[in-house]
Amino acid sequence: MAIVNIPPLGEEGAVAQATAPSHFWRTPIDNIRNKKSLAWFGLVPFFLFLILFLLIPAISVFAQALHDEDGSFGFSAMREAISGQNLDAFIFSLKFSAGAAFVGVIFGGLLAYAAATATRPRWLRNIVSSFSGVAANMGGLPLAFAFLSLLGRQGLGTKILNAFGWDLYAGDFKLGEVSGLITVYSYFNIPLMVLVTLPAIDGLKTSWREACANLGGSAWTYWRRVGLPILAPSLLGGFLLLFANSFSAYATARQLTDNSKIVPLRISFFLGGDISIGEDAVGYSLAAWMIILMGISMAAYWLLRRRAERWSNS
Amino acid sequence: MEQLMRQSRSQRALGRLLPTLVLIASAIFFAFPLLAMARFAFQNLQVIDLGWNNLFEKWSFSSVTASFSDDFFAEALTLSLKLAVGTALFTLGLLVPTAVWVHLRLPKARVFVEFLTILPYVIPAIALVAGIVVVKPHARWFLNSDYSLIPFYVVLALPFTYRSIDTGLRAIDLKVLVEASRSLGSTWIATLFRVVIPNLRAAIISSTFLTVAVVLGEYTISDVLLKRTFPSFMAQYRQSDPRGGYALAILALLGTTLLFVAIGVLSKSRSTRPQQVSRSQENEILV
Repeated sequence: MAIVNIPPLGEEGAVAQATAPSHFWRTPIDNIRNKKSLAWFGLVPFFLFLILFLLIPAISVFAQALHDEDGSFGFSAMREAISGQNLDAFIFSLKFSAGAAFVGVIFGGLLAYAAATATRPRWLRNIVSSFSGVAANMGGLPLAFAFLSLLGRQGLGTKILNAFGWDLYAGDFKLGEVSGLITVYSYFNIPLMVLVTLPAIDGLKTSWREACANLGGSAWTYWRRVGLPILAPSLLGGFLLLFANSFSAYATARQLTDNSKIVPLRISFFLGGDISIGEDAVGYSLAAWMIILMGISMAAYWLLRRRAERWSNS
Repeated sequence: MEQLMRQSRSQRALGRLLPTLVLIASAIFFAFPLLAMARFAFQNLQVIDLGWNNLFEKWSFSSVTASFSDDFFAEALTLSLKLAVGTALFTLGLLVPTAVWVHLRLPKARVFVEFLTILPYVIPAIALVAGIVVVKPHARWFLNSDYSLIPFYVVLALPFTYRSIDTGLRAIDLKVLVEASRSLGSTWIATLFRVVIPNLRAAIISSTFLTVAVVLGEYTISDVLLKRTFPSFMAQYRQSDPRGGYALAILALLGTTLLFVAIGVLSKSRSTRPQQVSRSQENEILV
């Protein structure tokens, strides 16, 4: 199948501007543009700001993490941060973050598809996308409070489920454990996924589906051979974004539970300080590992997004 | 043939059933937590005692009004509002010139700058605050002040705010506007304030609202640094009066929702412009 290769939007725009036909008169802008290297000086305030308020704190975390107990350079704290109880914490956090991302991708993708293809009522799509914009940003205290009042031990939902004969707390359900955290985080993960995939789903052309049907393909063939492969970068990218989002969430978890197996909470307990000197390096090492993990996920997300944009603008 | 058609019709019915079910399930999942919180906040009745017969009894706003009269309420809200204003101004002062510069002079740096603006995802709030704790002994004069939170809040809001301003710039023909203004003899400053900024009005307002929403909801940094912002007050107040804490959370949610609805309205009116770039319409608040 011949597919026209559409360059990613950002680069296309840049090329268009760079190769715009130059006018026969010289504008002030062209004059200054000749001094190309000078143009970078315009970004100095922005770079300075990022260095001061983002990079220096981040580098300081690594500087503290790479201290041995005697104060010299070494990896012992970094190693300790991924062994014993700390390793348990990382595994626990990876587990619920991956779970929350998976649930978010599945239901977010389905919801986006349902909203994108619904023809009736017409306002449905707008409602879903506007609500997603609000809910995707609804982390933090209100979310934790809402779920405490719904699914806490004395929650309204717990009582209703009880009336139907389902005792939520009979098993090992707890808002601060894997199943509870996945439920709560889905509240912002699903809408976030909707926002990420809606443009990609819009990029699926009806003509592709028709072409598939004309060649004798069923709906299943269409999704397996055309739809899902095209959506794959978006879905995978969405998974990474949701994963990073869940792994680093602090405010919601802090209000839900005291569970020190949640890495951000664990970091804050180390920062909060009832620990002996030398131990604090472990807290910073946890933060350093977290930055590394987030860096890997976001780099992969960035690459996948570039890939996905091929289809989402045409 | 007939059988084929019947089959495809039933298949289509099945195809519609799944999305409908998903929509209904989502509506329930997203509405219930909010309803439960509202009931808890505004109905003074234990869940155990709740039944069909007293479902509509004892509703009142007393929990909210009680929280308003707490000594620290006004203080915390004022601090958060001041931080919001400061963060919004700082953001605009930093990002509008930077984004304009990138669009005019350094289009090839666009992807690079966009990449920098998502760095706050790589260094999440909890890691950032760990770094602040490290730096603190060296910059006490600065970090002891409550207002030192402002630049860090600018960082946290960066992925949203830069994207919104960038989208606004993509939608106008910046080069032509600036050249016209400059060749008519205007200075760079006048061009920025009288040509560029008026054309970016919608983007500037929506980035401001996003900033305000981020600041009013930020808890991580202010909790670890023990600053008395509104979210910290909310968390603390819940310890003594859960219903009041939940009521405050509902008010905060309502406020944030209004801001986002306003952004939605603004971006819609903007998208009627012919040169709108389609990819950014839906998810301008995203990475």
